[in-house]
Amino acid sequence: MKKIIGVLIVIGLFGSGCVKRAPSPGITDSEILIGNVQDLSGPMKELGAIIPNGSNMYFEYINDQGGVHGRSIKMLIEDHQYNPQKAVVAIKKLIEKDQVFCMFQVIGTSPCEAIRPILAETGTPLIAPATNSGTMSDLTKQAGDLIFHTDTGYDRQAEILVDHIMEKNSDAKIGLVYQDDDYGQNVLLGISRAESKYGVTVQKESYQRGAVDFKGQTMNLLKGGLTDVIIAGIVREPVVIMKTAEAMNFKPNFYGTGPTIDARVGKMAGSAGEGFTATNWSYMWNSDYPGPKLYRDLCEKYDIPQPYIGLYHYYGFATAMVLVEGLNRAGKNLTRNSLIKGLESFNEWESGTFPPITYNRNDHAGVDKVQLVQMQNGEQVVISDWLE
Amino acid sequence: MKDRYDHENIYWIPILIIFVFLLPLILKGISFSYKYYLFVLNLAGIYIILNVGLDLLSGFTGLVSLGHAAFLAVGAYTSAIMVDQLGVPFSLSLILSPVIVGLFGFIIGFPALRISGMYLGLTTMGFGFIVKRIIISFRDWTQGSAGLEVSSPVLFGYTIKSDLDNYYLIYTFVIVAIIIGRRIATSKIGRSFMAIRDSEQAAEASGINLSQYKMLAFFISGLFAGFAGVLFAHTSSFISTDHFDILLSIYFIIMVLVGGASSIYGAVLGSLFIVLLDNLFVPLIEDQIQLLFNTQAGDIQSLIFGLIMFLFIIFQPMGLYGMWLKMRIYWKLFPFNPRQRFT
Repeated sequence: MKKIIGVLIVIGLFGSGCVKRAPSPGITDSEILIGNVQDLSGPMKELGAIIPNGSNMYFEYINDQGGVHGRSIKMLIEDHQYNPQKAVVAIKKLIEKDQVFCMFQVIGTSPCEAIRPILAETGTPLIAPATNSGTMSDLTKQAGDLIFHTDTGYDRQAEILVDHIMEKNSDAKIGLVYQDDDYGQNVLLGISRAESKYGVTVQKESYQRGAVDFKGQTMNLLKGGLTDVIIAGIVREPVVIMKTAEAMNFKPNFYGTGPTIDARVGKMAGSAGEGFTATNWSYMWNSDYPGPKLYRDLCEKYDIPQPYIGLYHYYGFATAMVLVEGLNRAGKNLTRNSLIKGLESFNEWESGTFPPITYNRNDHAGVDKVQLVQMQNGEQVVISDWLE
Repeated sequence: MKDRYDHENIYWIPILIIFVFLLPLILKGISFSYKYYLFVLNLAGIYIILNVGLDLLSGFTGLVSLGHAAFLAVGAYTSAIMVDQLGVPFSLSLILSPVIVGLFGFIIGFPALRISGMYLGLTTMGFGFIVKRIIISFRDWTQGSAGLEVSSPVLFGYTIKSDLDNYYLIYTFVIVAIIIGRRIATSKIGRSFMAIRDSEQAAEASGINLSQYKMLAFFISGLFAGFAGVLFAHTSSFISTDHFDILLSIYFIIMVLVGGASSIYGAVLGSLFIVLLDNLFVPLIEDQIQLLFNTQAGDIQSLIFGLIMFLFIIFQPMGLYGMWLKMRIYWKLFPFNPRQRFT
């Protein structure tokens, strides 16, 4: 008797493992389950709360209208504390345990790089990774065909900034303060291309992620007698650098890469931040384009707390539009392959939030241009057309 | 003559080993998300190997190290470079890389001859920062802070790729590491380590060469960490300096303390407990709390983790292994057990 029970248990255990799974996980008749990995308790936790909130606002709007082909969108969010190892564990949980359909908006370059093997192994697409790193749209890298980037690469942004500076003043002496990590590496790539193009040498100063004191770097910039300084930081770094420079009576023109576009930079820097120019890869959230208008209406409709409203929240909203359009184009019979095909059919698609986006089999870069936004009298003002 | 292991009940060990090898099949049977559980177990396995070495250094010899994430990093990068850029076979790298990390440990051991306690902890922590800078500056080899893609392990012509393959690879070495760790702990070397921890003067008076044994402790600990590093690099497929931050070193020390310092089984239990707690149980509790209160996921996760650690260290200072020993003695003496001894 015991033997029979034992055999039955073993058959039961192994048999349950042989149950056939649905061809595309995360899809039911009424729901699409997607996964998101954010930094909820690490150095970028502020953004980790704001960005997905913007996406959820748009998903709620779509769900209220009946969803995508009758399916509502549900997003699960995990925390990686900006640690690639934790990102890998989190994405493994989302894909293998929670059975999400696709990944959306994983924040940070090194976490995104670390999850490539899992994306490739499971064939899970990653839409709109929340990093400007140009490596995300490199189709030759592992899982490159599964990643759809939306933002202009840091390298391109840096090149465009140097172009702008040299156009204004061909004798400019340029400096760069960069975060000594993968973000900074990508900026350096663009800077080195610009150096060869103009035959100039950019003075480079690095800092560690999370640094709060920039006196040393600012002093070195001052000694270099620079006219223009590019800051490849996030929010705190440009504020502290500009304030420190002001205290040293050092007044070059300050520029920043994409992440410094946050309106808080100019506001917190006060008079030191006046004239600060940053690159932006989407229409300004407070402009009159249809995307930003819809954004502001939805913020009001869904009662979004005031501190959330701004660039990063808008970014979450704008990238959600890209995903929803892809899901729409994938059709009623949604699979991971049909989503990829749907996204690759974008041809100068105008979302109203980003400049027109084109994806195809050989190009997953999304937006490849920026406009320059300058702090003028405490307000952000667009000062250029789209620069490529 | 009676062997030193004769007093131990070791019959359960083969059963445990069989269980370890059957576990993936059981998991596969009961859960469709078994790959996730295997992945978490693989991570725990790598940490077990490292923590057995860390326990020999910190638990047995009393030399605090807050730089073991750096040892892991050196092992991982050494193997990645040797295998992918110099064409050394993985099987050879499994031997060479740990030795190189062991030699690193040997160098770090020098300051330990003069300093101890918190100061040694700080020195080893400094080593962690230095390693990070070195990795970033050797860009041609390491790709700097952008991270390095690493190939899958190839053993006897077979490429180990899936989580299941990785599990068997890692846990084979986990068992080997535990056996070696136990052998060292109960050997003359292990007893010398403990003598140094309990009283350096007494150990020296008994004829133990302090500098030799302290350096040896660092070397052995480096070997284990290097081994863990090799497995970490090749089973993760991608490594970067962000993987090996100071918090990871602190996690390792917590694992050893929670498991019960100066016990190899303690290091095993501690590693399993912390990794499973962090990746499986805390998220479950967190989901329940989030249903009740409108909180942010990340904050509550750290809070629960911190709280459990806090309560554990206050109420179970001897760690999980100590807890197990107490339980065993309690049942052995039952019903003649004085209440105060076990509370």
